[in-house]
Amino acid sequence: MNEPLSAKRRLALAAGGAALLVLLATVLAPLSPQLQAYARGLAFAVLAGLSIMAVAFIVALPLGALAASGPRVIDWGLRFTCDLVGSLPTVFVAAVFWAGTSRISSFVCGLGVLRGLEQAWLLRCEIVRLEAEDPDAAPRSLGRTPLVAFLRRRMAAALGPLFVSASFSVAWLTALDAAVSQAGFRPPTTLATWGVLLGSPHPSPLPALLAAGSVAWLTVALHALFRPPSVS
Amino acid sequence: MNVRAAIRRLFGIALTLIAVSVGMFWASASYARRPGAQHASPFAAFPVFFNPRPSGVRDLSTRALHAIAHGGQPAVGARLSLARLGGAALPYVLPALDSLDPRSRERVALALTPIAVRMEVATREELTDGAQAVLFWTRFWQDRAIDFRTASVRHLTARLAERSIALRREDLIHVDTFALPELIEALGRVETLADVARIQRLNAVLAHITDLPVFCAPDANVDDARRVVDTWQDFWDLHGSEYSALDGPRRLAATFVETQYAKWLAAVLRGGLGRTQSGQHAVDLVSEGLTTTSFLLFVGLGGGFPLGVVWTRFERRSHRPVTRLASAVAGTALAAIPCATFVRLFSGWAAGLLSAICIVTITTAAWVSRHLARSTMSQSVSPIAAAFSVSAPLGATYPPFVLSAIVLVELAFHLPGLGRTAALSLASGDVNAWMAASLSLASASLLLRHAADLIRPRALQSELGSSS
Repeated sequence: MNEPLSAKRRLALAAGGAALLVLLATVLAPLSPQLQAYARGLAFAVLAGLSIMAVAFIVALPLGALAASGPRVIDWGLRFTCDLVGSLPTVFVAAVFWAGTSRISSFVCGLGVLRGLEQAWLLRCEIVRLEAEDPDAAPRSLGRTPLVAFLRRRMAAALGPLFVSASFSVAWLTALDAAVSQAGFRPPTTLATWGVLLGSPHPSPLPALLAAGSVAWLTVALHALFRPPSVS
Repeated sequence: MNVRAAIRRLFGIALTLIAVSVGMFWASASYARRPGAQHASPFAAFPVFFNPRPSGVRDLSTRALHAIAHGGQPAVGARLSLARLGGAALPYVLPALDSLDPRSRERVALALTPIAVRMEVATREELTDGAQAVLFWTRFWQDRAIDFRTASVRHLTARLAERSIALRREDLIHVDTFALPELIEALGRVETLADVARIQRLNAVLAHITDLPVFCAPDANVDDARRVVDTWQDFWDLHGSEYSALDGPRRLAATFVETQYAKWLAAVLRGGLGRTQSGQHAVDLVSEGLTTTSFLLFVGLGGGFPLGVVWTRFERRSHRPVTRLASAVAGTALAAIPCATFVRLFSGWAAGLLSAICIVTITTAAWVSRHLARSTMSQSVSPIAAAFSVSAPLGATYPPFVLSAIVLVELAFHLPGLGRTAALSLASGDVNAWMAASLSLASASLLLRHAADLIRPRALQSELGSSS
């Protein structure tokens, strides 16, 4: 995946991957209740994964840029918040989110914000690194340089680590869900997710295998989709 | 790094740990409030961080007095409450008797009968009539009000702690729960057999005035006596404010002191990081689990990180596109497939420390290699330099990831580590064990982050120096 791929090919690869999964789920769902659970898990993984990605971007982009190039107090605040939320294994944070939220949407948004903070820090670090390497760049110049120039030059170049992290969103969500299920922190709910398929004490082999393979496939597709043009 | 920077960093770590402890306490309290939760902390009735209306003995006894005076259903509970408050409530209840109408006065005086019996100053038969009870308590207060002073009770307690004489015991029983603060304070530390004898004397009075079945056998040793002291300390932590007057600054302090968080903090400051539900000191629990978790963390980190760098180097230097693609897909898939899947695969036949290390190392390597692959694509530096250059962001995102994996393997493979302890204590509502284990994990996470932050500039400088 380090080979250059055009934007069209990347998009086609991702769309093809998603379509293949949807097709697979549609064909398999009527065969057995376990495969139906797999198909429902696919719907949850895609919708929740996209929501987490969207919320994370909304949080990460302005916060990361402000922390890197804006007032120092935002940088300090972001570092402190990241230290705070990053000090605990994510499985415990997710367990508390599950226990504290009554709706799935709140749970997903909470995870999106958590992911957004992490990605904001990645973005901040990358912008600072690029500014340090560029002799023409003035540190903390946001507000003094034109915003368009900042977005085109600095932000566009700094999005790499953020995209790597974003491409793992579905995998991160499923891993977290499975870990919460396996540790026994998941509240009893009828919601069928891949996390339950993978983290249950006695998983059915075929749906679990399909779920694990689908997570890997989705991640590979997202990884390819988000790959920026390589720099020679 | 100069001294000022080091102090600033240490101050930052300390500040973060305090904030983390607040966050984790909130997490524990939130999790305990989930629907269907069965296990609750004994302090669950207190507010978590701020108590806007702390109640002392004055508030509780005044409330009970008015409820009993009005009669009806609320008076039933109030009578029980007043009997439990005991002698500590008398300085507030007895002077207020005159302000009540005769019928209410009789009701309150009769409600005080269990206290009189416990104080061994009257029998039930003597206080069956309302008017008789009012007369008794009026005379009692005229004669004994002078005994209900902190200084005299402290003196009596100190004398009982020094040497046993039946009269001293009776003097303390006559003031009932009013003596509780002094008695608890007099328990002190238990080091010698003389201390054991002191605990036996004080315990006899404490058990009598609280009606609690706490025993300290005549042949008790130092450990037995310590357990008794711990029991009374726990009782005082939970109920201490009910027997103390909250006036002036104490009321202000009680808005924080009478909270779940402050109760935990007090247990930590007493030493041993508080005691768990099984009675073990939380610090012992941490020292038991630290070896396994540190081993997993450092072997996983020490093995996984270089493996990830080597992997990226191999992928980058490979001339065949198919090999590069296969390596990238394998790395992404390994990093993407939930750790729970591998844990489940190994849990049946190969559950053990070796499998746990393999899982943590391989997932770390896959995760690091994917982050480095992207980093080396946009930089013309070696993967090793890239590893250092991205150490700060990796330091921020790696610890929660790897600690989650460690929690899972410890739980599934029944390894006695901190992750397992934290998970089990969160589920069972054991606040002290949860806080001790999770604070240790948080400290490990913070150390990793700061270590990553420290090595980055030096590594980059050396790389730039060698390239120029």
